[in-house]
Amino acid sequence: MIEIENVTVRFGGVVALNDVSAVFTTPVGGIIGPNGAGKTTLMNVVSGFLTSNSGRILVDGADILSVAPFRRAQRGLRRSFQREQIADDLSVRDNIQVQLDPLPGPASAKRAEVERMLAVTGLTDQAGRRGAELTGFERRLTDVARCLVGKPRLIMFDEPAGGLSVDETARLGELILGIHALTGAQTLVIDHDVELISRVCNEMLVLDFGRRIAFGPTADVLADHNVKAAYLGTEEVLA
Amino acid sequence: MNAALFRITPTGWAGLAFAAFAFIVLPSVAGSFWLSVLTSAACFAMAASGVGFMYARLGMVSLTQVGLMGIGGWVALRLNYAFAFPFEVNLVVASIVTMAFGWLLALPALRLRGLYLALVTLMAAGGLEILFATFKFPNGGDGFWGVKLGSLEPFRGPALATTPEAYLRYVVACVTLGFLFIEAHLRLAPGRAWAMIRRSEAAAMAAGVNVTLYKTWAFGIAGLLAGAAGCLLAGSLGLLDSGTFRSPESIMIFALAVVGGARSWLGPIIASVLYRVVPAFLASWGVNTNLAYMIFGAGLLHALITAPNGIAGQIHEAAGMAARKLGWRP
Amino acid sequence: MINWFAYLAAMAAIMLWLSWGKPFAISGIFIASGLAVGSLYALGGIGMVVLYRATGVLNFSSGAAGAAGAMIAWQVAKWGAWPPVAWASCILTAVILTVGYGRLVAPLLAWRDTVVKAVATLGFALIILGLVSFLWKDDPRSLVLPTDEIGARFLGLRVTVTRLIAFGACLGITLGIWLFLGRTETGLKMRAVANDRDLSALLGVPILKVETVAWLIAGLLAGFTGLMFANLIRLEPVVLTFMVIPSVAAALTGRLNNTALVLVGGLSMGVIESMLTLSPELKGVRPIAPFVIAALVLLYNQRAARLVFAERG
Repeated sequence: MIEIENVTVRFGGVVALNDVSAVFTTPVGGIIGPNGAGKTTLMNVVSGFLTSNSGRILVDGADILSVAPFRRAQRGLRRSFQREQIADDLSVRDNIQVQLDPLPGPASAKRAEVERMLAVTGLTDQAGRRGAELTGFERRLTDVARCLVGKPRLIMFDEPAGGLSVDETARLGELILGIHALTGAQTLVIDHDVELISRVCNEMLVLDFGRRIAFGPTADVLADHNVKAAYLGTEEVLA
Repeated sequence: MNAALFRITPTGWAGLAFAAFAFIVLPSVAGSFWLSVLTSAACFAMAASGVGFMYARLGMVSLTQVGLMGIGGWVALRLNYAFAFPFEVNLVVASIVTMAFGWLLALPALRLRGLYLALVTLMAAGGLEILFATFKFPNGGDGFWGVKLGSLEPFRGPALATTPEAYLRYVVACVTLGFLFIEAHLRLAPGRAWAMIRRSEAAAMAAGVNVTLYKTWAFGIAGLLAGAAGCLLAGSLGLLDSGTFRSPESIMIFALAVVGGARSWLGPIIASVLYRVVPAFLASWGVNTNLAYMIFGAGLLHALITAPNGIAGQIHEAAGMAARKLGWRP
Repeated sequence: MINWFAYLAAMAAIMLWLSWGKPFAISGIFIASGLAVGSLYALGGIGMVVLYRATGVLNFSSGAAGAAGAMIAWQVAKWGAWPPVAWASCILTAVILTVGYGRLVAPLLAWRDTVVKAVATLGFALIILGLVSFLWKDDPRSLVLPTDEIGARFLGLRVTVTRLIAFGACLGITLGIWLFLGRTETGLKMRAVANDRDLSALLGVPILKVETVAWLIAGLLAGFTGLMFANLIRLEPVVLTFMVIPSVAAALTGRLNNTALVLVGGLSMGVIESMLTLSPELKGVRPIAPFVIAALVLLYNQRAARLVFAERG
């Protein structure tokens, strides 16, 4: 369960997040809204790149904001960015291994887990290739695989479908749907691909200008007229 | 990953072959002048490997590496005159003290953006230059600074290497160990963490990497190697002069490490050849060595603009292309 | 605000401690000469900060450009030219070198990150230093200005006019830059570019022109400080080239951002360094005073900082 309580973030005079609250209980939650609404800002607060001016965020009851940012991964936090952050020099396998290095446990168990997630994402054949040699989709899959290892609790995807074809987006969607069964983790997804989001997410938070304008089960949120006015768009019928 | 740790790449074989050549052949054929030049070059190769890998793998710029060599040399000389430890003990202590000193110098900048490390180390280079000029190097005198006028006390080199030829072999062995030390790091968790940091410090942090720790660790290795190099240089010359460790020298060794390229063993070798061997040639032909500054500066600009992996990188690319043409897989 | 007071109070305390027991006539001499040299540190730092903010390039070659200018001025004076021509040739040389780099080399690295751009200027510094060392043999030289002989009375001390000029120029130029950035249109554009280069370009700010003005200011300051350092410290290419280091120290006290802090930092560094001559134990290492001060300021500024990420290159 992810509890976001009254999170506010200010940059000087700009209020990027304005008293945002939401409780995510389903396996996959979505965060949508126009550009500049504060979606990435919210994820950055969870990751620890930004400090909130007020508010709390609890992941499975534990206060994540009180933990040093690099230690949040050990508590089960995973993050994938708008641009996939894959080290060009490392092999796919090593790129995934990075996530496991700080965690306790025998090396053989870690190797086995990397192999398992390579298989899940379909990257086993690419495992030895360097990051620089991968296609954009393979890089995204490596990113996803990295998020799956090491007992994740909360995985955050920031626009994972950016730059992917329809087929690739569909495959990514399948992967995201399988995360909870595979690892027990909750997932939060930011994306502008409404089809992907509505297929994959059970509940959604909608932000606009830093405020929450809707939160709830996907179908309800997508039908909400505030959401349509701010983001999804309404139909204008010319008489 | 044990198999991967000990796997030797084609580049690695070439490196080991070169080390063998430097160990076996060079000391036997070089005359006394060139023995001293090559030994000095080997020491600077060790220092260049430290500052170079930090730049190539992490983008961290240290402009005080030769200054840190001076610290290592100072400690080695002081220990030599104060106690009767074997050379190897002095070597280890000098390296560790230099590593700690390097951390102290870099402390203000390790949590900040890379630019600040460059600035702080530049200032440190200036400061160290002044300290060496003021307090000089120990030569057997009393007191903490250990400096006296008059003749030099004897310097105890390693028991294994009492002739200049043997000492060159000793230094080559140490330099090779230094390269292997870096390579081992690159193949294990530190190397993976560093690659992620290079890619994006934010992403590295999100992946659980303690970015400050790993940057500090990398700087520590550079300091360790600089300290060892300084001690080896002291052992070669028997005494050290503050002029060797002035701030332009630290900037030059960094520039040459970039020009040589620092992603493999070849880069620091090229750097040390350019730094010590080429000027020795030029001097023996009567050419003004100030031209070297100009050429190295131009080389640095060229490397930054067009050849980010340096000369060694271009050689590797050419070798890779040739290998592919001949049908070998990379 | 508290930080300002704390810094100034600390500086005042150190000055008091160093001059304890000595007559003002003695310590005053060192304060005066320290203010003169500190003015040059501050000017160097301000030039660096203005250029850095406008172009993203931290220019380590400013000292070298000043050194080249100073050597040219010496040479021109040796050939018998009227002194003002020599001084002008110093400034002109520095401007040509600096603006030349800014228009010809810097654009090739425009998309690289800050560290690479700064390291490239080091390469340029090495080129200049090599050329200057090659052209002029390593002999002791001095650069004499007519104002060295003229003294003025200030607070009961006799101060050479050269030192007054350095100090006055520092205050004047700093004020001038502040007015330029704050009150003129070009200054406004420069502040816009410094704040957000891409957005400014989109708004129609002529980036190239603005950057050229910034490089021009940097070149003028490099030439002036080179000339003055050559007079007040020593006319030696290597020494002058590495006067960039105390300028960096001054720039760091201003967090690469705040010209007022750079001014205060540079002046205080110069004064403390000079006054350390009064301490028998510390006088040998007084040139490291700027570095120690800058390192302490940097450490202090970070005390609450987490890891800071570069937002743009």
